[in-house]
Amino acid sequence: MLAYTVRRLLGTIPLLLAASILTFLLIDLSGDPLADLRVQQPPVPEEVIKAEEARLYLDRSLPERYVLWLTGIGGNGDIGLLRGKFGPSVQGADYDIGHALAERLGTTLRLVSAALLLALGLAILSGVISALRQYSMVDYTLTLIGFLALAMPTFWLGALIKEAGVWVNQQTGYTIFYTVGATSADTRGFTTAQLLADHLGHLVLPTLTLMLTGYAAWSRYQRTSMLEVLNSDYVRLARAKGLPNRVVLRRHALRTALIPLTTVVAVTVAGTVDGVILIETVFQWRGLGDFFVEAIKRNDSYALMGWLMLSGTAVIIANLIADLLYGVLDPRIRYE
Amino acid sequence: MREKSRPTVGAALLIAALFAFTACAPHEGSENTDAFADCADNPNTCNSGERAEGGSITWIVDSLPGAWASLSPKGGSVYTLQMLHGILPNTGYWEPDGATFTTNLDLLAEEPQLIDEDPFTYQFKIRPEAVWDDGTPITAADFEITWKLSTTEEAGHCKGCQPRSDTYNQIASVEGSDGGSTVTVTLVDGVADPEWRDRFSADNIAGGIYPAHIAEEQGFDITTPEGVGEYFQWLHTTMPTFSGGPYRLVEGDLKTQVIKEPNPQWYGEVQPTLDTVVIRFLTDEGTWISALDNGEAHGTSPVAFGQDTVEQARQRPNLNVSITEGPSWEHIDFNLDNEWLKDVELRRAIFTAIDVEDITQRTIAQLYPEAEPRTNHVFSNDSPYHTDVITETGQGSGDIDAARQILLDAGYTYEGDTLTRDGEKVGPFRLRSTSNTVRDTSTELIQSYLAEIGIEVTIEPTDDLGGTLAAQDYDIMQYGWSSTPSFATAPSQYWSSTSDSNFGRYHNEEVDELVERARNASSLDEAAEYANEAARIVAQDAYVLPLFNMPVYILVTDDYVNVRDNPSSSLRALYQHHEWGLVAQ
Repeated sequence: MLAYTVRRLLGTIPLLLAASILTFLLIDLSGDPLADLRVQQPPVPEEVIKAEEARLYLDRSLPERYVLWLTGIGGNGDIGLLRGKFGPSVQGADYDIGHALAERLGTTLRLVSAALLLALGLAILSGVISALRQYSMVDYTLTLIGFLALAMPTFWLGALIKEAGVWVNQQTGYTIFYTVGATSADTRGFTTAQLLADHLGHLVLPTLTLMLTGYAAWSRYQRTSMLEVLNSDYVRLARAKGLPNRVVLRRHALRTALIPLTTVVAVTVAGTVDGVILIETVFQWRGLGDFFVEAIKRNDSYALMGWLMLSGTAVIIANLIADLLYGVLDPRIRYE
Repeated sequence: MREKSRPTVGAALLIAALFAFTACAPHEGSENTDAFADCADNPNTCNSGERAEGGSITWIVDSLPGAWASLSPKGGSVYTLQMLHGILPNTGYWEPDGATFTTNLDLLAEEPQLIDEDPFTYQFKIRPEAVWDDGTPITAADFEITWKLSTTEEAGHCKGCQPRSDTYNQIASVEGSDGGSTVTVTLVDGVADPEWRDRFSADNIAGGIYPAHIAEEQGFDITTPEGVGEYFQWLHTTMPTFSGGPYRLVEGDLKTQVIKEPNPQWYGEVQPTLDTVVIRFLTDEGTWISALDNGEAHGTSPVAFGQDTVEQARQRPNLNVSITEGPSWEHIDFNLDNEWLKDVELRRAIFTAIDVEDITQRTIAQLYPEAEPRTNHVFSNDSPYHTDVITETGQGSGDIDAARQILLDAGYTYEGDTLTRDGEKVGPFRLRSTSNTVRDTSTELIQSYLAEIGIEVTIEPTDDLGGTLAAQDYDIMQYGWSSTPSFATAPSQYWSSTSDSNFGRYHNEEVDELVERARNASSLDEAAEYANEAARIVAQDAYVLPLFNMPVYILVTDDYVNVRDNPSSSLRALYQHHEWGLVAQ
């Protein structure tokens, strides 16, 4: 297992390298980071534009810039991924892309973790119930909810949930749910309890939206997987041996049925960091998704590269974890 | 199984209907009360009223400020200016009518005076009551450091300063007298500045005046260019806790919001009544209406015009909405490096075939019926300096027959419906613009007009406006410039053959001379004369065809008075936000 893990980790290096070359090229082709500067009114002095070009290394060729971005050799000490420097940002010399990414990651994880845990719990529960009560009213209802959440675009779902939250507030006369930001604008003078309530009030609606989008797909996986297992020979054998139904379900069926979901969840969790872009936009959370959108808006090449490398690394690691988990959960699979 | 699916289908329809109803149904109540009804007639005073003491307001700003100071390109945006407004003292501001410049007589003891025209010298006199929030008097030293912070390295006053404009390089000295209460500004020899009143104003690149004593407190030696450069960097990275205006910043960051509270040392006539003003950065327009409905925000005057937001806001009885002509004006430009488009007659014919009135009616007039074609490149139609330079040329009239006649007279011929010259097909031309509802419709209409005179146009949207313009990667381009009441440098930026923003490479020596004169005029009247003359020649040369001013809007809940839009200022509605208040009962 260890050898396999090391081998897989080593295999990610050329993969990341290739991805970085491709994305660097695409980002470079997507536009000039100083384009806005060149059309500003009143016009920005030429010497200021030249200085910015030099600071962002735009006075060097594309291959030179890529090598510089990767290694930092020949730079001003602010660039070089291998040295832990993500490069200069169009947002100024003092803007540390690495620090911003770490800070934003914390915000995103706060949003994502609760949503994913809830989504997973609900998906397993509803998937199992749907499978056990196949073609019943309960199954149809859960299927309907799942497909509705699956079919609805995230921004639309988010907008609807916000509307519902505002409606509840208006009906109760209290601001229970908030529609923008991770906290209220002015929390000075709040007690700990008020602060906690404020954080929760801001968390509920985006969490619900994110949870529904995750839940929808997972519950379908879980239902299908559970049905497949329930119809398998060894479950029939377990029942024929006279084992109680709950034991059959819990020990034999559910454990096996969780294997496909585990791998799907591992990969989806990594993808959620990307998928949270829309949720963070709709609810105005300043997390990684918002970082990505801002980087695109500002044509901030190195910030965009930083985000893409973080995202790419997360997906590759998640895939690795999924493969390893598969080996752990399924006794038929052994990595040599 | 089919039987069982019926309830599912029914439930699905019910849920979908509920969702649609929740999302789309208009809110209870009919039309909103219209506190802005008299803004068209009284733009400087509409929605005025008595204020109650206390309260707070959360104002939406639609993009993130790039820094804590607006001096540099990274911080130099309307968002930074709006965030910082009320903190820095300033010498004045443009009123919403775009014609009145109001001197800030809270800071100044009298109207600024032009002392001499050679060298060009003007003077500000500061009121003795004007102080920073730590009690330090506001003096000429503050004007001097602001000037130095606004100059490029080339001027020699600041090492490392990267201002977003070199306007202040033309100042030779800023000197104090009378104990620092008189500020004398002298320009370099041979230079005049018709907009001298506008220097150190709320709309200038600094957004006001920076304190010199804070630099010293922070350990920067501002008698040296290095020290000034260090202060420049510090100002951009540090939230200002000093104030010389009606408000001070008490908390905030560049990602979510800043909180302003009244400055207890404010020396002005009108005291703020609101306890807090929160400037909240909400970058997605789709979030605003629900935030307003939920009481998380109370108003906004964004840069861009959002049709959906305006329509939704109009359905809210507690929201006041006003649409007016904004500072950004759309226009069609030619790339004169294109071999065909070098011919002025072809350009004239193309501009004549374009029906600007039709484009206006089919785009922005849908929501802003007062919209009308713009007939001057430099001045809006309601500017006191406006002269119509377009109508007399026939350009923008959509007169297809006249356009065809221009082409035939110039030696062009038609093979069937195709325009040719010496047997060669003219064009096709690449018409480019960034994509939005207005520009998409407009470019499609232009394509159809030009088809009528036998010219094929290919529409190619771009995401990278600056890059497309800088690379001259177009034949015909639609985009927008932002105009302000400070106009003297604009003609030079648009048309000077040495300007980097003259993207289509227009060259006319007479225009070069006129735009220089406009820049260097000693009064606004004189500058306007030169600007109008240059615009007339540019129109005759058919280089740029103005279309219309894009509308802008303000919306605010009906709890507040003295809130009104100011399209003449980068600050928009925030331009006098210390006068805002809750409606007195």
